[in-house]
Amino acid sequence: MGYVNGDEAKAKDITQEVFIKVWENLESFREESGISTWIYRITVNTCLLQLRNEKIKKTSTQSEFNNVVEEEEESKTTHEIQLKSMYACIHKLSKENKSIILLELEGLPQKEIANITGLSHEAIRVRVHRIKNSLTKCVQK
Amino acid sequence: MTTFEDLQSQWKKQPATETPENGSKQIVEKVALIRKKQNITNIVLMTTAIILIFFFFYVSAYKSQKPMIGLSLMIGALATRVGLEILSIRSLKNLNVAKATEIFKKQMIGYYSKRVKIHFIITPIIIMTYCIGFIMLLPSFKENLSSGFYTYIKISSTVMLVVLSIFIAKQIKNELEVLKELKQ
Repeated sequence: MGYVNGDEAKAKDITQEVFIKVWENLESFREESGISTWIYRITVNTCLLQLRNEKIKKTSTQSEFNNVVEEEEESKTTHEIQLKSMYACIHKLSKENKSIILLELEGLPQKEIANITGLSHEAIRVRVHRIKNSLTKCVQK
Repeated sequence: MTTFEDLQSQWKKQPATETPENGSKQIVEKVALIRKKQNITNIVLMTTAIILIFFFFYVSAYKSQKPMIGLSLMIGALATRVGLEILSIRSLKNLNVAKATEIFKKQMIGYYSKRVKIHFIITPIIIMTYCIGFIMLLPSFKENLSSGFYTYIKISSTVMLVVLSIFIAKQIKNELEVLKELKQ
């Protein structure tokens, strides 16, 4: 949900695609990593593949989103507003950073995130620190 | 003052998305739909090629040189385009999604860089070849068809060319955008 800016239909489509890819690639799973890491990799890569289906409408999506937030602000709880604002801030990140922070938000150990992304543990540690700061600042605005 | 930990706890408080009861059925349906779409594309492309080949013999294009070259160029351009598209779809399918994201991203960049080369070098050649073939056919169209139908063919093919060029330009723009985003 975080990857697609809270769009449930898109999230459902991607989930289905992930299931299909897991099924198709099951034979190639060699137990070099845990099954969860392997499935997370497929999920992150499938999200990356979605780039080709995206329309180049980032700016309009953002302004539409802001309008929605303003309209709904009164009826929604603070929790919901903050979540919406988090979705919007995550949406602003690059694809790679988006994946990393979503895995961090899910509570995955950084070592496993490094395993999924193929970056070094140290690089992930630094990257997560930077994204955490920018995300917190963005939500506070 | 909101900290990241506050955000994380808010994030985890989100209600879990309900698992649809007929989830597996939906996935099976989706797979069937994907296969159906691929089949439809293949059928459309094959039908176009068959129609052109049929037309080739129907107008006895092989009897005179110019229409023969014209039609051959058109069929050749179309066949090259179809072949490239098939190869492209195959190489996209061959990307290994189970690899670490960094490796997968490099594979994707490689795929899109190749697509960009195709778009900027091969596609213009294909379109030009197709147009040259069509222009070479025009005199025989003029000879064999009524003037109304001949004008119709000229206008409709120009419109088609413009529409197709816009469509291809949009596709190129989209793929360049993907490549730019991947390289970020």
